[in-house]
Amino acid sequence: MLRERLGHVLVAGGGTTGWCAAAALKRRAPFLDVTILSCAPSRHALADRIACTLPSLIGFQEDLGIGAADGIVRAGSGYRLGTLFTGWANGIPDYVHAYGRYGAAFGATAFHHHWVRAAQDGSAVPFDRHSPAAAMARAGRFAPPKPGTPFADHEFGLAIDVARHASMMRAFALHVGVREIPGEIGGVTLDADGAIATVDLTDGTAFGADLFIDATGPEARLRGVLGDDRDDWSAWLPCDRVLIAETNDEPMVLTTVTAHEAGWRWASGVQSGFAYASTAISDGKAARVLRNATGATPDEPIRVRPGTRPQSWRGNCIAIGDAATEIEPLEWCNLHLALSAIDRLIAMLPGRVPVPVEVVEFNRQTLAEAERVRDFLAMHYHTARRDDPLWRATAAAEAPASLAHTLAQFAERGRLPFFEEETFARDSWAAVLIGQGFLPRRVDPLVSAVPVAATRAAMARQVAAIAAALPHVPTHAAYRADQKRHLTR
Amino acid sequence: MPVAAESKLRVVIVGGGTAGWMTAAALTRLLPDHCSVRLVESEAIGVVGVGEATLPHIRAFNERLGIDEAEFMARTRATFKLGIEFRDWNRIGDSYIHPFGTFGRGSGAVDFHHYWARLLREGAALPSLDTVSYACALARSGKFDHPASDRTPLSGTFGYAYQFDALLFAPYLRELAEQGGARRTEGTIANVERDAESGDITAVVLESGERVAGDLLVDCSGFRSLLLGSALDEPFVDWSQWLPTDRAVAMPCRTCTAVTPYTSAIAMPAGWRWRIPLQHRTGNGYVYASAFVSDEEARRALETAVEGEPLAEPRMLRFKAGRRRRSWVGNCVAIGLASGFLEPLESTSIYLVQQAITTLIELFPERPVGASDRDEFNRIIDLEYDRIRDFLILHYHATTRDDSPFWDHVRTMTVPDSLSEKLELWRTRGRLVKYREGVFLDPSWVAVYLGQGIVPEGWDPRIDTVAPDALLRGLETLRAEIDSDVARRPDHRSFIERYCAMAQAA
Repeated sequence: MLRERLGHVLVAGGGTTGWCAAAALKRRAPFLDVTILSCAPSRHALADRIACTLPSLIGFQEDLGIGAADGIVRAGSGYRLGTLFTGWANGIPDYVHAYGRYGAAFGATAFHHHWVRAAQDGSAVPFDRHSPAAAMARAGRFAPPKPGTPFADHEFGLAIDVARHASMMRAFALHVGVREIPGEIGGVTLDADGAIATVDLTDGTAFGADLFIDATGPEARLRGVLGDDRDDWSAWLPCDRVLIAETNDEPMVLTTVTAHEAGWRWASGVQSGFAYASTAISDGKAARVLRNATGATPDEPIRVRPGTRPQSWRGNCIAIGDAATEIEPLEWCNLHLALSAIDRLIAMLPGRVPVPVEVVEFNRQTLAEAERVRDFLAMHYHTARRDDPLWRATAAAEAPASLAHTLAQFAERGRLPFFEEETFARDSWAAVLIGQGFLPRRVDPLVSAVPVAATRAAMARQVAAIAAALPHVPTHAAYRADQKRHLTR
Repeated sequence: MPVAAESKLRVVIVGGGTAGWMTAAALTRLLPDHCSVRLVESEAIGVVGVGEATLPHIRAFNERLGIDEAEFMARTRATFKLGIEFRDWNRIGDSYIHPFGTFGRGSGAVDFHHYWARLLREGAALPSLDTVSYACALARSGKFDHPASDRTPLSGTFGYAYQFDALLFAPYLRELAEQGGARRTEGTIANVERDAESGDITAVVLESGERVAGDLLVDCSGFRSLLLGSALDEPFVDWSQWLPTDRAVAMPCRTCTAVTPYTSAIAMPAGWRWRIPLQHRTGNGYVYASAFVSDEEARRALETAVEGEPLAEPRMLRFKAGRRRRSWVGNCVAIGLASGFLEPLESTSIYLVQQAITTLIELFPERPVGASDRDEFNRIIDLEYDRIRDFLILHYHATTRDDSPFWDHVRTMTVPDSLSEKLELWRTRGRLVKYREGVFLDPSWVAVYLGQGIVPEGWDPRIDTVAPDALLRGLETLRAEIDSDVARRPDHRSFIERYCAMAQAA
C-alpha cells in the first residue's frame, strides 16, 4: 500500500487558486489524473479576488513553463515593485516596502546597521532612498533587473486582472490535460474511516479521488467537513471586513496603502479597497469612505476571520488558500500562501494513501510559514503609531512569541533573527520597521569596523547612482506598451 | 571612531585551549574598539586537543580572521579533509564516505537520492554510492584539489575542511590574539567573585591572589566548566541514554600508510575508533562506552588496531554527552566543552566553538549584559546542539550489527521523537525534513542513511516515468565524468608538499 502511487487528484474550486493548483499538479507531475470541479469561487476568497500579488507568482508560473508573454502581458497584468505606506505612524513620512535590496552591504554587517548609525548621528536620508526598486516605484518607472545598473537585483509582483488571469490559468490547465467538471458542490460523502469518499454535486453526480484539494475559499466546503479547528489571530490582525471596488484604471507600479482610523485603504489602479474592523466602522459608512476616496462603488463586504488551520492537510484532503488561512490582504500574501502550499505538495507528493509522518511534516512547514506571514502583518500594526482607539489597542496587544522575539531583537540592536519558512526577506522587515520609525536602541558593534566618513561617502554614492540611473528607466506605462508591441509584431 | 578605553567591555576568558584562543583571536580581530581581552590559563592544566578533524565552516572563520590557508596549514601540520569514512557501522566489512559535497550533479527538480532509491528497490546492480559523488571519488583516490569556484561543474560540487594538530592551532591563534592586544595571564583560578544582587560574576581570583575583574566572562575551561558549571551551577542536560560512549583512549602513531584526504571512523565492539592523518603523524583513538568494555580492554584494542609505530603512551579521557541547559547565564558565556560535549564522530567540536564565537560576536553585549542578547544566543546554540545530537544518534541506531551488547543496545534503544520522525519520513518516502539553519544539510543525511543501509521504500513519483536503462546510462555517464576529472587531480600528499608543507625539524 505504501508503494501505491497517487493516481487521481480532485481540485475543488474554480478561482485562480484552484486553477493554479490543478495546472501545477498536472504539469509538474504529469502521471497524475487531475480533475477540477470548477464551481464558482467564494466571493469571500481573498486569494481569488485580490489583484495585487507577490513576486512568488512569477516563479510559480515559470516553473510551469508559463513565460511573460502569456503569464503577464496577454493576461493584462501590470507590474508591482512594492507598496507605499502612508499615515501608519504619526509625524513620519510615507515609506516604500519594495521587493529588493535596501542599500549594499559594506563590511561584515547588513546595510541597515550602517543606516541606523547614520540615523543616530542625524545624517541619514530616509531608508527607502537606498532601495533602487523603491526609487523606481516612486517615480512610476519599471524595468526588470538589468545587470550592471543599480537596478540589477530587484524582484517584482503583478497587479493581475483577476478574471483574465484565472482564464489564462484555466486555458493552460486544460491544455496540459486537466479535466474540468463544471457544477456546484452539494455536499461531501465520508467513508467508514471518516475520509472523503466523494464530493457530490447539486445535480446528483458524485466524484471520488485519492486526494482532494480544497480551494473553495473560507467556506472550506471539503476540509471543513473533516473538522474546523482553527487558530484565531484576531487579537493581532484587527480587520475582519474587506471592500473591493474594481476601478479598472491603469495598474500602478507602486500600490498605495493608507491608514484610516478603522483600518486601511488601498489603490492598485486595477482595484481599490478598504480593509477595516467592523467594530470600528459600519459597513455602510465604510462603503462611503471608499466611494468618496475613489469614486467607485464597492461590492458587498467580504468577511475575514483572521486565523489558520494548524492542520491544513487532514486525511485525504488538503486545504489551500482561504480554506486554509484567512488573513487580511495587507502585504498581498493571500495567493502567495496558496501557491506555496501547492509547491510544497508537489515537492512532497504523497502516495495513494498518505503516511502520517508526511502529513505532519507538510503541516509543520505550512503552519510555520503562515505564522511568520501573520507576524509580518501583525508587525505593521504593532509598530504603527496612531491615536485612534483601534490602532492603540492593536499596538498594545501582546505580540505572538515569535514576533515578540523579532521585535525585541530589532529594538535592542537591529537584529532580525532567522526563522524557518520565512516569506519576507530581512530587508523587507527592516523596510517596514524602519519606515514606521521603530529604530534600534544601539548600533551593532561590528559597524564600527567601517569608519563613519567612509560609510557616509558610500551611502551618498549609492543614492546618487540610483538618481543618475533612474531617468533611463522607462515609465511603467511605456514599458507595458512596449511589451504589448513586441507581442503583436 | 575608537571607543574610549574605559567604555570598552572587559572580556575575561578562562582557559587557553582551542576554544579560549579562538575566542580571543576573533574578539581582538573583529571588535577591537569594543572590548579588551584578557585570557587566564595555567600551564599546569593540560588541554584536551587530541588532533582535530574539522568541518568546512572553519574556512569561513579563518578567512574572517585574515588567516592565510597555506601558512595556517604548514603551522598546524594540517592535511585536507573531504569527508569522513565510516567503516563497519551497518555491518562489519561495510565502508562509506560522508562527503562534504553532493551526490550526483547537485541539480535537478528531484534530488538524486530518489533515483538511487528507486534503482536499488527495483533490483538494479549499482556501483558503490561513493562513485557518484565527486567528493567521495576524490577522497577514495587519495587526491586533492581546490573546488572550482562555481557549482556548475562536478569539480565545484564539494567543500573541504582540515585535519590538524590542535595543540599547534591554539598557539598559532594565541599569536594572532596577542598581536591584536589580548593579554595573557598565567594562573589557576582559586575563587569566583559574584555580585550579591545580580549574581553576575565580577571577577576571578587567582591562586597568586591576583584579582581579574571583567564585564563578560567567557568560560573556556573545558570539561571542568569552572564558571558556568561550578560557580553558576547551571544544570547539565544528560544525553547519555542515546549517546552512551563516555571515555576515549588516544594514541598517535607514525604514518605508515597513505595520508588520506579524509578522516576514518571505524566501528568497534563498544564504540568506534578514529584515524586522523596529519602531515607528521596519524591520530588514533577509541571512543567507548565504559558500561560495555573495560579501560584495559579498550586500550589493548586500540594498540592492536593502530597501523604504525606508537609515538606516545595511550592517554585517557572521560566525558558525558549533553549540554548545559543554557550556555550563556548572566554575564558568563561558555564556549566549547565548558558548555557541552558531543563525541567527535562528526567532527563537531571545533564547529560548535566557532558557532558560539560567531554568535557571540553577532550578539556582542554591552555593560551591563542584557537578557536580549543572551536569549537569542541560547536559542541559536541550543538548536545547534540538538540537531547535531540527532545526527550522531542516527549513526548508532541505523545498524544491523548484533555482535556485541553495545550494538544490541544502540540498535534497539528508543531515539528522540525528532529523530524518529526524520527516520520515518525517509524510510517511507525518501524525504528529508527540511531546514535551512543547521550544520548538516541534506547530502549529509542522505550519506548516512544510505551508507548505513536504510533504503527508502518509496520515492518521488515524478521519476517513475523515466525508463530504468536511461537512468543507468545517466549514472554511467556521471561516473565516467567524475572519474576522468578526478584522474587529472594531484595526489593529496604531493599537493600538500607543494602548497603547505610543514617546516622540517632542523
